[in-house]
Amino acid sequence: MNSIEIKKLSLNFGEVVVLKDLNLTIEKGEFLVLLGASGCGKSTLLNCVAGLLDITDGQIFINGKNVTWDEPAQRGIGMVFQSYALYPQMTVKGNLSFGLKNAGLPKEEIEKRVKHASEILQIESLLDRKPAALSGGQRQRVAIGRALVRDVEVFLFDEPLSNLDAKLRTELRVEIKRLHQKLDNTMIYVTHDQIEAMTLADRIAIMRDGLIQQLDTPKKIYSNPVNKYVAGFIGSPSMNFLKGTILQNNKPIFKLEGGWCESPDLSNYIFQESIKAETQVWLGIRPESVVVGGEAENMPVNFSLEVEVFEPMGADTLVWSQIGGQEFRFMIDGNTSVNVGDRVTVGFDPAHASIFDFDNEERL
Amino acid sequence: MLTKVQSERLFVGSVALAFVSLILATVGIKSQLFQNIQYLILLFSSLSVIWIGFKAGKFIFITNRLRKQALGWLIAATFSATLWLFAQKDIQLIFPVLKGYRKVWNTFEPFALFATVVCILFALILFIVGSRDSKLVRPGFIERSLVNNLSSKIAALPMVFTAIGVFVIATLWTVYHSFTNSRMLPKSEFVGLGQYERLWSSDRWYISIENLAIYGICSLIFSLFIGFMLAALLDQKTRFENTFRTIFLYPFALSFIVTGLVWQWILNPDYGVQKIVRSLGFDSFVFNPLYDLDIVIYGILVAGLWQGTGFIMCLMLAGLRGIDQEIWKAARVDGIPMWKTYIRIVIPMMRPVFITTLVIIAAGIIKVYDLVVAQTSGGPGISSEVPAKYVYDYMFSAQNLGQGFAASTMMLVSVLIVLIPFAYLEFGRRKHG
Amino acid sequence: MADSAVVHSIDGPSGPKPRKTLSRRNIILYGTLFVVAVYYLIPLYVMLVTSVKGMPEIRMGNIFSLPLEITFEPWVKAWSQACTGLNCDGLSRGFWNSVKITVPSVVISIAIASINGYALANWRFKGANLFFTILIFGAFIPYQIMIYPLVILLRDLGLYTKLPGLILIHTIFGMPILTLLFRNYFTTIPEELFKAARVDGAGFWGIYFRVMMPMSLPIFAVAIVLQVTGIWNDFLFGVIYTKPANYPMTVQLNNIVNSVLGVKEYNVNMAATLLTGLVPLAIYFISGKLFVRGIAAGAVKG
Repeated sequence: MNSIEIKKLSLNFGEVVVLKDLNLTIEKGEFLVLLGASGCGKSTLLNCVAGLLDITDGQIFINGKNVTWDEPAQRGIGMVFQSYALYPQMTVKGNLSFGLKNAGLPKEEIEKRVKHASEILQIESLLDRKPAALSGGQRQRVAIGRALVRDVEVFLFDEPLSNLDAKLRTELRVEIKRLHQKLDNTMIYVTHDQIEAMTLADRIAIMRDGLIQQLDTPKKIYSNPVNKYVAGFIGSPSMNFLKGTILQNNKPIFKLEGGWCESPDLSNYIFQESIKAETQVWLGIRPESVVVGGEAENMPVNFSLEVEVFEPMGADTLVWSQIGGQEFRFMIDGNTSVNVGDRVTVGFDPAHASIFDFDNEERL
Repeated sequence: MLTKVQSERLFVGSVALAFVSLILATVGIKSQLFQNIQYLILLFSSLSVIWIGFKAGKFIFITNRLRKQALGWLIAATFSATLWLFAQKDIQLIFPVLKGYRKVWNTFEPFALFATVVCILFALILFIVGSRDSKLVRPGFIERSLVNNLSSKIAALPMVFTAIGVFVIATLWTVYHSFTNSRMLPKSEFVGLGQYERLWSSDRWYISIENLAIYGICSLIFSLFIGFMLAALLDQKTRFENTFRTIFLYPFALSFIVTGLVWQWILNPDYGVQKIVRSLGFDSFVFNPLYDLDIVIYGILVAGLWQGTGFIMCLMLAGLRGIDQEIWKAARVDGIPMWKTYIRIVIPMMRPVFITTLVIIAAGIIKVYDLVVAQTSGGPGISSEVPAKYVYDYMFSAQNLGQGFAASTMMLVSVLIVLIPFAYLEFGRRKHG
Repeated sequence: MADSAVVHSIDGPSGPKPRKTLSRRNIILYGTLFVVAVYYLIPLYVMLVTSVKGMPEIRMGNIFSLPLEITFEPWVKAWSQACTGLNCDGLSRGFWNSVKITVPSVVISIAIASINGYALANWRFKGANLFFTILIFGAFIPYQIMIYPLVILLRDLGLYTKLPGLILIHTIFGMPILTLLFRNYFTTIPEELFKAARVDGAGFWGIYFRVMMPMSLPIFAVAIVLQVTGIWNDFLFGVIYTKPANYPMTVQLNNIVNSVLGVKEYNVNMAATLLTGLVPLAIYFISGKLFVRGIAAGAVKG
């Protein structure tokens, strides 16, 4: 059974279209991450699912029930917010039990659920404190607990880790993953952080301008982005895009705009469909897919470059250079010494590249 | 004919009209201020509701949601109908208990009758809308405007009543009656601009305007200047800042009556400042503002400034504190002297604060009334009259309502002259920002 | 202090910069502030000393001098014997009237305005902004233009010249500034908190009473200070909408002091004036920062 089903959802604020004709199906127990830059509509979508925003058109089903017009509390969801949104004048225990009291649950049941949730999240010792006396990580745990006690099918996370510092973020990330494995609930998780998205998600939906660009497993999104936007958004450092033309003799050949005399052979690349001769394209290759030195000479595509800037990052060093007037970045081992002005031979396998149409930026 | 959306708009329009007529009826109970115009409006709105109801077509089942709402309106209708019944003589004969509260029932009678009609109207609307909307996937425009967010709409009713029922209607009422020859009681006999002609040919009104102009301009200039100076002095990381601020601001907590009476005492020629200076040997010293026709308004000004500048200082201080502290650091590094920083950088940055303060002072000045009453009662003679006092005296002492209405309309006009450009500026700024 | 720089001149200035406490700048700064402070305090001082002097001493001496002999008789007289017209039961009647007016007005106006502000800030509905704009505009319009229709309204309701009528008037005219105050405050409360409460199943009133109100106690205190001083100090509405038996303290004070009948007893007058000012002054000194915050919040954002 599908846990959440969104059909033809639209949302307008006056004249502004925020979400347009959006369809999305989430399976039971799935961890779905909504990823996108700020203003892409991902939080808005989550608020629509939660019932905190009235939609303009379409329907939302949760566990097979049409909840389009239901109040948030009736939808069987729990929600965790970026700013924790703990009620400052209530103790941790009061925060956890507020929703249950509103639902009119008997006292013993409330006690039981609060106890259970606080055990899972290891916040038993904090139950009598006020939120002001908690650290950021503890607060977010309580916020998660507030969703947990509701004993619901669906958890909604709205950038829950953005307010935490880097170290805590990593810790809680793992904890959320563990929680998901333990509870096996459906979770929708909104973030702008691609590492969170990659590490947590069963599937990622990348959003832009109120539309879902690509909905797929993290691996697939990384290796087979459907368009140039997704390709550039996922991966750090981001993908190199080389502008050029594909010439079709008996095999596809890439001709870089503005130079590069050898014509590299793209036979290894799997095109979605056969393409016309002389198509203008973007050739995308991730910096981490580029190899250097002797290894590079064995690659179907290789060329030499001059180092312009290098950024040591510990295990690796990111090198910035140019080819045919276009920017090109690649990774080398952090132990290799490199100087500005050195010439390096680099190469890659077109099987790891992505090719996009120049005009509509869709994958070819 | 009409599209669906248009008919819905019309529908909601009728409901709004029904509301307006309800408010009109509330204001106009018994005194018949609006010549029963509310019944006309109600008739119109009910007719259009019924017409659209016919157009809505077949009466199908109503959704649960709507049934609840419609039921609520029906209960309200029953309640107000009961209230209305209580006021009927026959009912009172049957239940003698009710007779004791006859006055209360009679007061509410027209209102209750009206509310009954309106509530039934609303229930009717919901039934009609429900019969149509139950076929739709989404709630229609009417349902959304009537049902959604109902609690917040009910909670906002007092605000709506105050805004429309008091501020708008009362203002329009007064402006309307300023063109009539109302004397002891408001009348509807039009005399065109007669009241205004009389107003502008009266010496007392001229003196009032002149006094207000002197008082207004001086207190604007002085309170802005002194207020800003004091704020700037306190903003020098001054020690005892809190003490000084408390001292400068305490007069603002006092009423104008208290202020006026204290300064009346201090400026008293027989016991106050004049006497003290004379007793020091300056026998011909004259400082007697409250009994001097030409300078009496300055005596009032002194008291007004004493009361109000602390407040202006507070606003200015808040404005100064709102300025980015790095501006001061930058100015210090650039070697710009402090006074120059204030004049060239800080004051221009505080423009919004100055404008707001200006509007607040201006709106306050026009209302000046208590201070004059307490300090001089308009005397000596009529030399310290102000417009607000003119209005009060004509309305409540001279029993010449028309003059009072005309004078208060003039006050409104002068406030609007200040306020509209300000609102425009503010609005424009928000649009750009 | 200048020598210390010379002594260390070999290695240049070091350590903390010597601070001059008696610089010219400081003398001007504190001198000005001190003079202004004295000016602001004089009326309070005059009120106080006059009110404890006997009439003969007032006629002889000057108003600034300290009393030779302190007497509290003027205070007693102002409180319980001073005359307005034919009534001679002093200010106490006005005081209790003011209490009876102020307490319900403050409670009702704050209750209504806070709910209004909450509805405006968190449950925005169509048309809300229009009404709000009219309301704020209403705060600037001279009251004089609305006075008479309200007399008619009160007369029709049977409340004219009665205390409940005046309470209604104060509630109406307190609404713009208070609604603004509360709306501005509630918009600063993070929206996510409100969303969380909705997910937790709290409705319009549940969120108001259980989440918003407990969080907003400071702003309620500000509103109380603002309203108590405002209503206590009101004169115009008191004189229009009540009759002599129901006059609030300010109106009665004015009538006592400016009465043309009888001999002027300046000491009693000043005692009465001070008595009337005591309530707002006490609130001002007790509330301190809240008062400042209230008037600044009410005004600057308008």
